[in-house]
Amino acid sequence: MKKPIFLLILLIALGAFLYAYRAYNKPHTDVASTEAAETISASAIFQAFELDDSAAMVKYSDKVIAIHGLLLNRDLSNEKEPQIVLEGNGYDGFIRCGFKPKYLDKLLSLQDSTTVHLKGICMGMNGSEELDLLADKDVVLSNCTLID
Amino acid sequence: MKKITILTLATICFGMMAFTSHSGGIFKTNTGNINFFSHTPVEDITADNHKVKTAFDATSGKMQFSALIKDFEFPKALMQEHFNENYMESTTFPKSTFSGVIENIAAIKTGENGIYKSKVSGKLTIKDVTKDISTEGTFTVKDGVVNAKTTFVIDPTDYNIEIPKSVAGKISKEIKITVDADYKHAH
Repeated sequence: MKKPIFLLILLIALGAFLYAYRAYNKPHTDVASTEAAETISASAIFQAFELDDSAAMVKYSDKVIAIHGLLLNRDLSNEKEPQIVLEGNGYDGFIRCGFKPKYLDKLLSLQDSTTVHLKGICMGMNGSEELDLLADKDVVLSNCTLID
Repeated sequence: MKKITILTLATICFGMMAFTSHSGGIFKTNTGNINFFSHTPVEDITADNHKVKTAFDATSGKMQFSALIKDFEFPKALMQEHFNENYMESTTFPKSTFSGVIENIAAIKTGENGIYKSKVSGKLTIKDVTKDISTEGTFTVKDGVVNAKTTFVIDPTDYNIEIPKSVAGKISKEIKITVDADYKHAH
């Protein structure tokens, strides 16, 4: 009688350990294999953050978003995270998209002033009206991947 | 006539120097790095943000930073979730900012290659709590790029970051912040 109870407790303990281990080591979201929660133009997502930053955070942040927009430039100055910049509002608003370094060759092959389609995790809008040197604003996406 | 020619030449030379040496004006980057590091005997925790927006005015010394909290990437997804949801409440408080001044800006010659020690002080805002901070760092000027590096320590409780007792042994009371940014002259 004691043996089955001992085995049951052992199984429960093992199950709890495996659950905790898997939760602790769960991987980051794989953007390439995750379906986008929303597909939106670069100008529309910029406008959403510009109109109501808090509401846009709740709606878009932490989610995989598919975006299309005009490529303004490639900012490869940080080798740990090459980035591209899409047009946001045509003036001082942009969409900044960060990629893993393995995508560098693909980014180099992009042509400026063409429409780019990509997916990434939305992190929010950076920049602040209170900081006069940083008044331009970027809606930021990370772990991006290009959509063919 | 000769005087006017010399004066004209001098004006042109001075103008060219002003444009090429970038000894004044705004220096900026959108790809600055901030790392934070917590060490305890139980666990080391580190996270990086590579899209920090920052700029400084090489004339007045004014210096500013803005970093999205959600953009700090941790090696483990679970740590990142806990950081954002439990400690930083990053959907409600999405940004951390710094606004301050490089106290010895006159000594930093952004138009001449060299390494310059600096002292920066100002106001750091995290979770809508603003505190005065002061740190020493290094500006390295090389071929028009100005690299700024500094390391300082913050106490999370100063910024209303509450660490539950259950994980208190895993998170240090002193978080080391390292800033590393390459600035270019903003045209």
